[in-house]
Amino acid sequence: MGFFNSIFGPRNNRSAQVAKERLATVLVDDRYKLTPEMKEQMKLDIAEVLARYLPSIDPDQIEVTLLRGESNDHLKADIPLRRGGSES
Amino acid sequence: MARIITITSGKGGVGKTTTTANLGTALAMQGAKVAVIDADIGLRNLDVVMGLENRIVYDLVDVVEGRARLRQALIKDKRLPELCLLPAAQTRDKDAVSSNQMIDLTNQLRSEFDYVLIDSPAGIEGGFRNAIAGADEVLIVTTPEVSAVRDADRIVGLVEAAEKGPPSLIVNRIKPRLVNRGEMLSVEDVIELLAINLVGIVPDDESIVTSTNRGEAVVYDQTSLAGKAFLNVARRIAGEDVPFMALSDQQGVLERLLGLFGRRRA
Repeated sequence: MGFFNSIFGPRNNRSAQVAKERLATVLVDDRYKLTPEMKEQMKLDIAEVLARYLPSIDPDQIEVTLLRGESNDHLKADIPLRRGGSES
Repeated sequence: MARIITITSGKGGVGKTTTTANLGTALAMQGAKVAVIDADIGLRNLDVVMGLENRIVYDLVDVVEGRARLRQALIKDKRLPELCLLPAAQTRDKDAVSSNQMIDLTNQLRSEFDYVLIDSPAGIEGGFRNAIAGADEVLIVTTPEVSAVRDADRIVGLVEAAEKGPPSLIVNRIKPRLVNRGEMLSVEDVIELLAINLVGIVPDDESIVTSTNRGEAVVYDQTSLAGKAFLNVARRIAGEDVPFMALSDQQGVLERLLGLFGRRRA
């Protein structure tokens, strides 16, 4: 760790930042009673529906996160599409 | 007409009882008539924290079951005649009291006091539900740790479900030096996560240990930062607009710089 880093530090891997991010996830999951198994099933279901329109989806690549917002919480799904999938 | 305020947390050991004792004392020092109730049936502690353990004759369960009148069970504080404690029963369990009995009890106290503070047991079961049953307001104590914040969030949900209105928050045992280093959740982080109204920031302070050892409230200790913080919370509860204590640890930054230079030279 350099001189500069030790004072101003990469803030985002300090333990407080890690704690905050872990809590942000666990609090919304607790509130919506969303278990890891349910998240997995939700990914499969999302993939199944979207596959009717976009055949290039890999369910294993889907990231589903619940995020706490100011007035509303959000369900964020990140669904990468396989390149070249549009031609198949 | 008293305001009935329950102090709760979910997780144990975050400072509920210390907070109740000190807010009760601070409010009474301001001239208010205050009753503090220990609702932790079976694990009575507010009495020892306040140094009143030798004066107990009757307890909350005695009142509820009709063996004593409320007035007989209320113990006067050592220093402040306007401060009273209703102790918990030590030899009974939390099922000895029902929510309706707690509501009756708080209503009886309402006309005689300005504030009734209820020290809730940890947890989210019957004891906690009894403690909030008669409350007008709920105050949640947490520490800047993942387990305490998570449990506090559960409590926020339960308090909202019980239609008690939005609870307010005390963040206890802040270590400014650790926060500055990015190794402890800051008050801002905790508020952002819990999204409730902040009413107090209490720094970690060794004088809490020594005061509690003696059975004295830390708000009597003029030199104690935690004592000052609790006095501020009491003033905010009473409606005063008191700025939050600045806990930015200038000295810590300086020490860190000096330490670094020292290390470089070595």
